[in-house]
Amino acid sequence: MLAFEIITPFTVLLCFLGVFIGIIMGAIPGMTATMAIAIFLPLTYVLEMVDSIGLLIGLYVGGISGGLVPAILLNIPGTPSSLCTTFDGYPMTQKGEGEKALKVGITASIIGGFFSLTVLYLFAPFLASVAIDFTSVDKFLIIVFALTIIASISKGSLIGGLFSGVLGIFISLIGRFPDNNEMRLMPPGLEEQLVYGFSLLPVLIGLFAVGQILQEAEEGMKPASHQKLDLKKTEKNKFSLKIFKGQYINTARSSLIGTFVGMLPGVGGSAASITAYSQTKNFSKHPERLGTGEPEGLISSESANNGLIGGALIPLLTLGIPGDSTTAILIGAFLLQGVQVGPLFISSNPDLWSGIVITLVVANIAMFILMFFSIKYFAKIVFIPKYIIFPIIVLMCVVGSYAINSGIMFDVWTLLIFGVLGYIFPKIGVQIPAFLIGFILGMEAEKYFVDSLKGSGGDLTVFFTQGPIAIVLWILILGSLVYAFIDSQKSKKNQAST
Amino acid sequence: MKKMMALVSVGSMGFMLAACGTGDSGGQGEQTSGQEGSSTTIDPNRVRTVIGSSSTGGDTYQTADAATRNLEEVLDTNMQVDAVGADRAFSEMSGAQDDGSTIMYFHDMAYLGVEYGSFSEDYELENWTIGPMVATNPGNAFLTSADAPYDTMAESIEWLEDNPDETVSVALEEGGVSEIVFDGYYLWAEEEYGSEITDRIEVYVTGSQEDKNQALWDGNADIIHGSIGANNEYTEDGVEDDIKMKFLGVTTEERVDGFDIPTFAEQGITVDGEEFVFEKEFFFLLPKDIDESYTTALDNAMAELAEDEEFAEALNKNTYTVNHMPSDEAEEHLMEKRENMQSIIEQAPDLNDLAK
Repeated sequence: MLAFEIITPFTVLLCFLGVFIGIIMGAIPGMTATMAIAIFLPLTYVLEMVDSIGLLIGLYVGGISGGLVPAILLNIPGTPSSLCTTFDGYPMTQKGEGEKALKVGITASIIGGFFSLTVLYLFAPFLASVAIDFTSVDKFLIIVFALTIIASISKGSLIGGLFSGVLGIFISLIGRFPDNNEMRLMPPGLEEQLVYGFSLLPVLIGLFAVGQILQEAEEGMKPASHQKLDLKKTEKNKFSLKIFKGQYINTARSSLIGTFVGMLPGVGGSAASITAYSQTKNFSKHPERLGTGEPEGLISSESANNGLIGGALIPLLTLGIPGDSTTAILIGAFLLQGVQVGPLFISSNPDLWSGIVITLVVANIAMFILMFFSIKYFAKIVFIPKYIIFPIIVLMCVVGSYAINSGIMFDVWTLLIFGVLGYIFPKIGVQIPAFLIGFILGMEAEKYFVDSLKGSGGDLTVFFTQGPIAIVLWILILGSLVYAFIDSQKSKKNQAST
Repeated sequence: MKKMMALVSVGSMGFMLAACGTGDSGGQGEQTSGQEGSSTTIDPNRVRTVIGSSSTGGDTYQTADAATRNLEEVLDTNMQVDAVGADRAFSEMSGAQDDGSTIMYFHDMAYLGVEYGSFSEDYELENWTIGPMVATNPGNAFLTSADAPYDTMAESIEWLEDNPDETVSVALEEGGVSEIVFDGYYLWAEEEYGSEITDRIEVYVTGSQEDKNQALWDGNADIIHGSIGANNEYTEDGVEDDIKMKFLGVTTEERVDGFDIPTFAEQGITVDGEEFVFEKEFFFLLPKDIDESYTTALDNAMAELAEDEEFAEALNKNTYTVNHMPSDEAEEHLMEKRENMQSIIEQAPDLNDLAK
């Protein structure tokens, strides 16, 4: 069947609308692609299946992509998966390269998006059976592999970084242990509020946005150096595809990691960009420059987090198992229409399957068009005086936190508590990125650790004897740690010599 | 001084915004103006339905969505379903006003969770007004790998008897429907075959249906709890061998139309001399002191909806069925059902003793 017979102009219109709304929601700190899809899910009941998928996939692609705007321009990850985008994106903005950074991020996003949808289209059934072969032991080791980035980004203060990461894991475990419904690590009197632990989004934007605003307030809200630049006169802010020269392997590797991590059920999307960034740093010719405003790091993060979209759809459509929290909501859209996703979905619904792939193509193109050509307007955000933009950010953060779980006031208090911690942490040597990576991955690491032990009857050797995948992952983990250690020693020597 | 003022003003702005929501969590912000102080008036403009599941892909959300989308037309109101999870749903109901602007929709776990100790006793059925019964998921089932050496739950016990060195592990969720049906199976096996057999039954405690499926595929569990709606796809011809499943039994009284799956009763599974039957039913819970006129309006609307063929078709798409009972009947039915289950729960083993 031809493409235009499967999707109509109305589908394309809905897809563009979804992308547009998704970008806005992704760009607002505290609002995510997951939230966008959850809001629009009930409305899809009145639409045809392909039209509703067009709208929801548009929201998904837009929501994931929009997160790069505040990450690059304001050092606030719009979504958890854009955490690593701040590492190099914001330093580029500080150097007066904000617009260029945005365009690099958007281009990397569309490359990651197209890479993953190509993999989805060509290899979905095969990869689904590969994903099934990944046991809880393998998933635990993948999370550990992602956690090794803490060692990489803690250069100069390895102990401080590791402490911060462990503290993040510790805080993430507060709440009810799902296997026996017992509360653990619970502050007295907060059992009701913290039954599910601290919500990720308020913690994330509290540490980054509110903490940063308090820091700036302490310093008197002076204009930053990049706010004084005249971008029209600066050549270095110009985007060119030449930036991607020499980044082909980085882009392909990061897109591949994003797609691969995305397709593993239960391993969150944030792990995709964290793992990709970690490996970019390990393979970089100039790892010391990453984190200082290198397009290399930005390309890695953005191609990986858009790569996970196609990846997460693989287990959803071929096994009926969502790959991440967003596709967990997407599954509801299929069920509302009475369509069962699972191992027979593609063979039973060839037109719908083609429709999904086509809407993914449309959504990625829509994302590129809408973002790339309007980015110069977005980029002007950085020139708004701080005394105007900061109250607006605080307001958006409060609204986003309140809305993230359909109106829980404690999420707003979480935002503010972690905002204050975000202000205090750097002063006492706690590294915020390492803390957050520990916080994001802590729960997943525990779940798969416990699942592995339950499966093996408590035998710890299962982590070393599970099979070839585990052995390969151990080699990667050890390699990553050794590399981070050597890099740390090198940088200490360099610091001493200067 | 300027720095200090700026710091204080930014901080205080955030806290003021936070304080605007009042200290109470959830529910309160949803009230529609004009209704305060009028506890006998039903809010006709907006009803927030919190459900005891955080998933939008499960049977609770699906049936709640179908019911509320139709009920709002009959009641001439707006109904919004929020998948907030059991703890939050109960918590919000505890703080909800009596005007019916926040109500809850859930299934048997509402009282089983209290009986098993997973939920606070503050959430027991007596503390709510039980609303009308809406639907049943008749496909409450157990499954195993397609190549397993047994075809029914009863055969799994016979297989254990024939293979004294083997064990069987069952993946289930603590405190829910899957635990009560497992308890029925376990108690029957203990009574019929003795502890020599049941000592070799283990449980793999986990959460979502996806986790249970994965436990089966990983080899961490031999049998999983599931449902026809969620798992039938994996049992059909054409599914690859490494993920193919087969049903071992359903807990309904009669076989489910269109599916060749024996019931527990057919397999001879009994507890306390009675056939073990458990139907997973979905119903509304309302604030304890809600005005009777609200309950009556909801009952009438639900009765009208139960006759609607389109509603039945919407449920049947995912193998759910209409199961309407007005509030008073639903209350009597659930209290009796809970009493029957209490006997099983009292005799049941502690999952901690069976956990792998």
